[in-house]
Amino acid sequence: MRTGHFKDSYAALVALSDSRVVWAWTGVLGLALLALPLLVGAYSLTLAITILVAIVGAIGLNLLTGTTGLISLGQSGFLAIGAYTNGILLTDHDWPIWAALPMSGLVAAAISLLVGVPSLRLKGLYLAITTLAFSFIVNYLILFFESVTHGSNGIFLGDVTILGFDLSADRPLYYFVLAVTGLLALGALNLGRTRIGRAWLAIRDHDIAARAMGIDLVRYKLLAFFMSSFFIGIAGALMSLQIRFINIDIFGFLLSIEALAIIILGGLGSVAGAILGAVFLTLLPEAIRILLSLVVDPNASTYSKYIYEIRGITYGVVMVLFLRFKPDGLIGLWRDAKKFFANWPLAY
Amino acid sequence: MRGSLKSALLALGVLSAGATTAWAEPGVTDTEIRIGDVNIMTGPASFIGQAVSVGSKVAAAEINAAGGINGRKLVILTEDDGYVPARSFQALKKLIEVDDIFALNGTSGTANVLAMMPLITKANLPTVVTTAPNELVYNPVRPSVFTIGASYETAFFAQLKYIHEHNEPKNPVYGLIRQDDDFGVAVEAGYSRAIKELGLKDGIRLKYKKGQTDFGAELLQMRQAGVNVLANGAIIASAANVLSEARKLGLELQVADVWSEIMPPSAKLLAPAGYSFFVGDYIASMTDPAALSFLERTKQYMSETDRQAVNRYSFITYAGLKVMAKAMAACGKELTRACTVENLRKIHGFETDGLTAPISFDNAKQLGGTEVKVYQVNLTDVSFKTLTAYTQY
Amino acid sequence: MEYFALLLGSGLVIGATYGLVGMGFAIIYKATGVVNFAQGELLMLTAYIAFSLTQGLSLSFFPLLLVTLPIAMVLGVLLERIFIRPMLGEPAFSIVMVTVGLSVILRGLTIMIWGPDPHEFPIGLSSAVVHLGPVPFYPVQLYALGSLAVATGGAWAFFRFTRLGIAMRAVAANEAAALLMGIRVDRIHMLAWSFSAAIAALAGVLFAAMFKLGPTIWFEGLRSFPAVILGGLDSVLGAALGGLVVGVVENMAQGYLGQGLREIAGFVVIVLILMVRPYGLFGDRQIERV
Repeated sequence: MRTGHFKDSYAALVALSDSRVVWAWTGVLGLALLALPLLVGAYSLTLAITILVAIVGAIGLNLLTGTTGLISLGQSGFLAIGAYTNGILLTDHDWPIWAALPMSGLVAAAISLLVGVPSLRLKGLYLAITTLAFSFIVNYLILFFESVTHGSNGIFLGDVTILGFDLSADRPLYYFVLAVTGLLALGALNLGRTRIGRAWLAIRDHDIAARAMGIDLVRYKLLAFFMSSFFIGIAGALMSLQIRFINIDIFGFLLSIEALAIIILGGLGSVAGAILGAVFLTLLPEAIRILLSLVVDPNASTYSKYIYEIRGITYGVVMVLFLRFKPDGLIGLWRDAKKFFANWPLAY
Repeated sequence: MRGSLKSALLALGVLSAGATTAWAEPGVTDTEIRIGDVNIMTGPASFIGQAVSVGSKVAAAEINAAGGINGRKLVILTEDDGYVPARSFQALKKLIEVDDIFALNGTSGTANVLAMMPLITKANLPTVVTTAPNELVYNPVRPSVFTIGASYETAFFAQLKYIHEHNEPKNPVYGLIRQDDDFGVAVEAGYSRAIKELGLKDGIRLKYKKGQTDFGAELLQMRQAGVNVLANGAIIASAANVLSEARKLGLELQVADVWSEIMPPSAKLLAPAGYSFFVGDYIASMTDPAALSFLERTKQYMSETDRQAVNRYSFITYAGLKVMAKAMAACGKELTRACTVENLRKIHGFETDGLTAPISFDNAKQLGGTEVKVYQVNLTDVSFKTLTAYTQY
Repeated sequence: MEYFALLLGSGLVIGATYGLVGMGFAIIYKATGVVNFAQGELLMLTAYIAFSLTQGLSLSFFPLLLVTLPIAMVLGVLLERIFIRPMLGEPAFSIVMVTVGLSVILRGLTIMIWGPDPHEFPIGLSSAVVHLGPVPFYPVQLYALGSLAVATGGAWAFFRFTRLGIAMRAVAANEAAALLMGIRVDRIHMLAWSFSAAIAALAGVLFAAMFKLGPTIWFEGLRSFPAVILGGLDSVLGAALGGLVVGVVENMAQGYLGQGLREIAGFVVIVLILMVRPYGLFGDRQIERV
């Protein structure tokens, strides 16, 4: 067991990790992620990309909901804004992807301020439903401004290349998304150890107390909206790069719910939690499918019409069970496991 | 069982895709050909996916019973997308990479096909689109994609033309209500075409959000505009609510409806409003002799639940797989995707025994079976009377 | 003027269903501090159960309610016991997510049991159009308005005069204090769920009878959010009024402005209202101390 948490500088106190072991394992994970395309098939790679995109979105939502405590059900709206900005810039204005991608984030972030301002006085579920209202309004506006957004026809992304690599192929796309995800995750982690991150935590714990201690609520709440939506906008843009077709039906209300489920099942307020949640919830339908296919063959000659609904129901059941038995999420499970091994065999 | 275990392992990334096939071409072995479909198997629209799935399976069973395609049996693999385009993309990716399909015969809705299009094009996957004959699907033409069916545009034009020629009320004013999505755009295109080509009076055009239930204000707007011919682009419950609201206001209307309303469950919802509405469709109605003989012929391949799920989508998917089978059979033993696509392109006048008009893909759009019949509901027993033969509009 | 009256009429009808669904939300929120995201699914499930009852027993409206409401209440109690009670003491947000999971389960189950086909849902009322002044109604629509009035009156009397109602308000005001005063808070929660389920059943039956029964009617839950937010999440009577207002606003927006504005009119209204009154029109203003 590691002892001696003695720190002699502020820098050491806010360091991402002071443990060489953690850094070493992080390195191993990084290498494994780099080697992944060489090890797995194309479908697994697609899943991996989906997971990475979900991670970006989850980290973004987590900044707002987990770190700052402002619940948002408007995720699908910002995803749509990011995806459409990316699609419009790439196809109609011939922007290169390295410029269109950050712009997607910025546009989503800028628009989030429009939501942020009326939401400043709102708390809890009132805020959640206002953001939900916002996502419905975004959907409406996207269909309404047909001349800009192509309306209901949707947008096909043509060939997108960066540094000569064709992003329509799985491997280049994987590495590209991995790089973006890595950068953003690192950014979020570092944000957490600045004044901004600490201010957000203070607002989450008690916003009035935070204001009494000199935190400008307007500024930091809006900043939380801005940063969160920047991430989510980028996630939307990455989503559009993967599917290569953008249509409003992709950004349904259930996407917002799924995003919340990711960060809650993962563990609120932590980047690692968001990552674990994204991995878990993306793979859950696959796992359910594989497990069920061991029991019944969905392609059997007498067609079994229930199998697909059962998959959906199982998803709900797992979610409920998880919340019931592990309310602090996967990250809590991870902490428990660490504690167990650290204290073993004398846990109590 | 063995197959599912294999796919399980594959999904886990233990084996790389395609490693176990004996044939060089994906999805083809010495004994079988794997055909995929991505369908709406869950949620409110799952009656479409279930019907499609029955159509594919019946066609496959029939072909297999007759000895298969040059000795190879057809195997159908269905994936669910729940009508969400992002999931369609993922489902097709799985079908291609894990299940190793050779061709695709069921394709969900329009936005869903479009989301799959990049994958289809890249794999040169022979694809017959049967349930989304939308202009967006065949324009621009993708080399391996073949579409059966008239567009919503044509179907609406056909109906409005019929009403114009045979059932037009005095001082006709036309009005349109349509969904705010790609399907709605196609409906409006048909309406616009009718207005322009037939010189009709365009009273009002309204849009509504998919799934809307209350149409009180919309029908009042219709009434204000003096509409007496309604192009009802709403579907299922929404379509019924539009008509029920019209009846409440006591509007005298001739009504053109979407072809989804020819299916018995929706027709039963619409009938109580008392409008004997028209439907334009490129597929035989359930009471058409072609449909009855199809049901008789394929009885042995269907379970009771299958039979209940059968509707127009089953007929068209059945026809789709038959066309695909013909193209594959023409390739002989050396079955490849390229050869299948080439033979699909040669399909001319393929007979579907009246389930649709003869299908030809030897045109620039690779689009066949576009002739439309106009039907009118008989309100007493909710059956459909055929008013015109298959006609090109 | 006639146009206005007709818009008002159809707005009130749809508003009545929003109001009933909204009351269901508010009852649970008031007692437990949780927004039940499965409220729309509860409406769907109970409507389907009622549908099976009419098929089997061909009951008309009032007998149907007599059978359906108790079933719904039992269902509400069961759901609370199985899904919500074990979560007691967890953050409200986790419980909200449990209701989200519950909604997924209920939606799947309903489609599994009853299939995806839509149905006409006759509840033994005449379908002849009735005119009140210039405004036409179907009888079932008048029943919906009447039901909202009865439900609102009943809720008012319940919260004002009965022991249970007062206990419920006590729990809503301060759960810990209520517990100390000898109120069985867990029972109150259970009761809230069963009432909420009953009102969802009432809304479901009426909604399906007016607008057909199909597996998309769960969406009515989401559509009713503006109603309950407008009234204030914890105001049962406010939700009823909010529903009527939102219904009318939607129809007016569509009738006078068009452009499919109906679909977002309610949401635009709540964004505007919340900017001025962050707890809705009638919601309790929480006074916070550090």
